[in-house]
Amino acid sequence: MGVRRFLSILVKEYRHILREPRTLWMVFLSPAFVLLALSALFTSGSGRIDLAVWDHDRTTLSRRFTDVLGSDADFSVTYVMDYAEIDALLVAQRIDAAVVIPAGFADAVQRGGAAPVQVVLDGIDTSLAHQATGSLLAHAADFGFTLNQQLSSISQPLRIASQPAYLTDGDAARNSMIPGLIPIVFSLPAMAAALALARERETGSLESLVATPLRGFEYVMGKLVAYVTASLVGLLPVWLEARFLFDVPFHGSIPLLILLTIAFLMASLAQAVLIGSVVRSQQTATVIALFVFFVPGFFLAGLIDPIDMTDTFSTLLSSMLPITHFVIISRALFIKGAALADMWRPALALVGLSTAWVGLGVLSFKKRMG
Amino acid sequence: MIDSLHRIWSLVVKELLQLSRDKLLLGFVILGPLFELALMGGMVGGGINNLPTAVIDMDRTSSSRALTARLERTDELLVRHYDGGVDGARAQMQRGELAAIVVIPPGYGAALVDAGRGAVVQVIVDDSNYVVAAVATSTSMDVASDVVRDLTAHYGYVNRAGIDMRFIARFNADLDDRPRSITAMLGLIIFQVTLVIAAQSFTRERELGTLEQLRITPLGRVELIVGKAVPTLLIGLVDGLLMIGVVALWFEVPMRGSLPLLMLLTVPFILSQIGWGTLISLVSHTQQQSVLFVFALAMLEVACSGFIVPASDMPAVMRFVSNASSVQHYLVILRGVMLRGAALGVLWRPVLSLAAIGLGSMGVAWLRLRAGLDTDSVGQWLRAAFRLAAERRQQRRAARAGSRVENKRKQSPEWTGEPA
Repeated sequence: MGVRRFLSILVKEYRHILREPRTLWMVFLSPAFVLLALSALFTSGSGRIDLAVWDHDRTTLSRRFTDVLGSDADFSVTYVMDYAEIDALLVAQRIDAAVVIPAGFADAVQRGGAAPVQVVLDGIDTSLAHQATGSLLAHAADFGFTLNQQLSSISQPLRIASQPAYLTDGDAARNSMIPGLIPIVFSLPAMAAALALARERETGSLESLVATPLRGFEYVMGKLVAYVTASLVGLLPVWLEARFLFDVPFHGSIPLLILLTIAFLMASLAQAVLIGSVVRSQQTATVIALFVFFVPGFFLAGLIDPIDMTDTFSTLLSSMLPITHFVIISRALFIKGAALADMWRPALALVGLSTAWVGLGVLSFKKRMG
Repeated sequence: MIDSLHRIWSLVVKELLQLSRDKLLLGFVILGPLFELALMGGMVGGGINNLPTAVIDMDRTSSSRALTARLERTDELLVRHYDGGVDGARAQMQRGELAAIVVIPPGYGAALVDAGRGAVVQVIVDDSNYVVAAVATSTSMDVASDVVRDLTAHYGYVNRAGIDMRFIARFNADLDDRPRSITAMLGLIIFQVTLVIAAQSFTRERELGTLEQLRITPLGRVELIVGKAVPTLLIGLVDGLLMIGVVALWFEVPMRGSLPLLMLLTVPFILSQIGWGTLISLVSHTQQQSVLFVFALAMLEVACSGFIVPASDMPAVMRFVSNASSVQHYLVILRGVMLRGAALGVLWRPVLSLAAIGLGSMGVAWLRLRAGLDTDSVGQWLRAAFRLAAERRQQRRAARAGSRVENKRKQSPEWTGEPA
């Protein structure tokens, strides 16, 4: 490899990045900015449930129960008079659940039995449905308890003491999601790299490069190193933001974080280079890169739903994505304070992936240059 | 009017010709969404299952074995017996090999039936992903309440007066998560394809220098925007129709409403993407910049779409911001028509929001074109837009005065907008 030729490509790429304030901003600061916006989502919200109540019984007792529901800040209650109204509200997505208290409710309670109450859930948003089920059941149990205070309370025979292994204080949702989001926001610079290559082909400047003594490997490495180092600078604002603005703990070692971020950037940028070297226009590069980086990053990389190891196909597919491994590493470093020995597997996977993708990129580039 | 349609038509033909020349792009634009939806729809939305869990049984009685067997029977947990002690299991969790550790203490079986004491089982969860921690906790609590119910039945505790809640779920009786996640993906895929194509429509011409050629044709500002929008709209509608077909026929998500209505309401959704895209395309100098804008916008849209965090869980500020998210409004329409069989009457709110987003962004894009592409910063092009408006006002005033400005009006800066 000719070091001078490699360096000249490197310098050329730096100039491209530095001379456009917008590109500069996008490469250095956009990860921190997007992280800021995304993390605002993970602060624990109120989680209000819109509830319709149809009291068919109209007794003091049923009234007492609907009052209990109405006074809960988690519910926003509308009163309705029949099923047609409930159905119309459900179709219009104005309510999440409806509670129907049948006639004879008070009688059943007075006889000392269990009075049936119907709950109609909107089944589409399953997480809201589960939430509504949980809090309605809790209210029913409380109400039953107040009805039975004369009975001796029996101690709970089995209790689960759930203990979080790592995060004892702070906003658990945000603290665990921010380290997971860091890999995703770093796919922005990767997009930039994919386009830098496609651009050269589209505007025709690649042909003049072919006429120089430059070799494919030097060219690809020059592009890669330029964008990897430029993106690495973007890690600092991201880290500061996570650490001090959001108070996410960081228990790992910083040199290790930098080292593994380089491995991750190499792998995902090499993927980008491969895309950039096989397409003819930047538009195509963008469409492909969106399919490769964007949707899979959110849905397949284990950011929210962990990867189901028993499903071989999806495990295989996920492990092809550099993001998957870096999500594990980033969480392990921030939250668990893991050492390299604890995560040699994802680290090795990143190194392997970056070698493979760089190799493929160089190969495909050589072929197309000739 | 006829002339104008004719000019738009030739621009549309040019765009479609250009698109058909790039086979790779065409393939990705038409088949990519279908493939991605089929692949991801099969993998995502099954819920969180098979979390690796270690059970440390220090009691070794029939009751502790029964508890372990109950944990094994859940879909959520993948239980493995572990004899290496809590510290060994914690080291495995550190390596990411375990999601939860269940510790059954010695004397568990005896404490369970001793009404005075009660047993405590410790569950250590890996909270480096809070979703995993929540699922592991709630699953073990469910199992515990099953154990308690069987115990009370067995020992004949009295059934007290109370409320017996009976749940039924409308539209989705099994509370299957798939309809929700697949519709979210469908919306996001249409969004990303149309946005990308629209976002590069002008930047590409600008970067390649062909925008100058377009500028000397008789195409007007509005004609240019409309002509660029039509191919994107076509692609979006074809993609949408194909994907709805896959969702309904392959994934067997019910189609309860009217398909023509759904396709009709997809139009404002795509138009709002075209508005955003055109605007991005006009403020970017290079395609690289426009893509980065697209990516940043796409991340915000995913975040606001309610896929990651339900909209009701968002903080108030973000709930307000998410009103600008067209994906969120479209998902209300899509789920309303497809899953709930809603008619237009109850969907006016998201439809109006989409129309507002589309018209607003296109209006700004039009202003941007009017100000001229030589202006660089936002301040510059706003000033240029105001200056042009002022000039035009002056000309009108002069025209009203009946002087000989007829010629000057014709020379009024067309959308080339060279700064005077």
